[in-house]
Amino acid sequence: MSKFADIQIDPAIVKRAARGDARAHEIIYRAFAAPVYSICLRFTRVPAQAEDLVQETFIEIMRSIAKFRGEAALGSWIRRIAVSKALMYLRSAWTARGQSLADDWHEVTPGDVAAHGVSSHPDVALDLDAALANLPSVSRAVVWLHDVEGFTHKEIAALMGRTESFSKSQLSRAYQRLRPMLTVPGEDVSGEGAELRGC
Amino acid sequence: MSSDKKDEEMICGLTADERDLLQQELRELPDAMPPRAVWHRIREQAAAEGLIRQGPLRRPMSWHGGLGLAAAVALAAILVPVMMNAPEPVGITVPPVTNPSNTAQVNALQALMVESRHLESDLRALPDEPRVKQAGTVATISEIEDRIAAIDYQLNDPTIQMTEAEEEIFWRERVRLMKLLVSLRYAQAQRTAF
Repeated sequence: MSKFADIQIDPAIVKRAARGDARAHEIIYRAFAAPVYSICLRFTRVPAQAEDLVQETFIEIMRSIAKFRGEAALGSWIRRIAVSKALMYLRSAWTARGQSLADDWHEVTPGDVAAHGVSSHPDVALDLDAALANLPSVSRAVVWLHDVEGFTHKEIAALMGRTESFSKSQLSRAYQRLRPMLTVPGEDVSGEGAELRGC
Repeated sequence: MSSDKKDEEMICGLTADERDLLQQELRELPDAMPPRAVWHRIREQAAAEGLIRQGPLRRPMSWHGGLGLAAAVALAAILVPVMMNAPEPVGITVPPVTNPSNTAQVNALQALMVESRHLESDLRALPDEPRVKQAGTVATISEIEDRIAAIDYQLNDPTIQMTEAEEEIFWRERVRLMKLLVSLRYAQAQRTAF
């Protein structure tokens, strides 16, 4: 379950925020800043850019909260704004380089993982954070949206303006990259003999 | 089972255990708060765009005012009797630390600093903030953290010259707020445990 779903805000505070109450907005910020920053940091990898995205997200919340009707949870609403801002950043970064928000696996060489201090050897401690950071941007975003935030491939495809197949393909390739780092207790870590689900 | 779920299993490339482990570990990656300056930037932009209306002055401000007044009163209480009984200046400056009352003050100050350090250590020993938070507690904790930050700012600002008596007031308030913070975070951890 997404961390956003765990955060409860009193509806009275949301109403106060909708009226522009600065203190109510600060309470909302304090409650959601960490998960919003987390998304932004995972997408950008650059703290300064993540901070800018946090600012853009909360300014958008302030602009739009009067329109928030409460049909969905506040956390889901805020998460969607944060994701949208973070994806917009990815798009702009790609646009600036004359590329579309597409496959960027060609930018990653097989040696990149080791070069970033992540070993594929099962005896070496996991460094999932570093491995995640080492994935291509779009693929990392798909992993985060799918496995942490709980978006479906259909939703990810819509957010990215791509197809479901694209989302699935990115996830599959990311898993292949992350898989050597996983050590499941009592299981053959090499994967030999392991029963692959549906594959 | 949704078609999306079925399709995803066809392409996952992981065993069920691996997939579960990966998802669990991804979700357990720690979150970090953005730097404090980010909120100040948001507030400034929001105020400039007219998105928020500022309420009455925030408590840290009024608290500062109150502390300033208290410091002034404390300073006056220390200095006025000294000045009234002071002999004519003879060009000799007595080091203030030789004064027994000053020595007591330095000891009190050191005791407060040590207590503050112990409280910091207690705070660090508590479990991380729970994922499920109550907005009221979050607000109170953030208020206390702001006040502590304001005190630290004052204590670390090299342009502010403080007497030991003034410093003691700041440190005493810091210890009081740290105690509050530790007790709130402790209560939060207790609630999470059940």
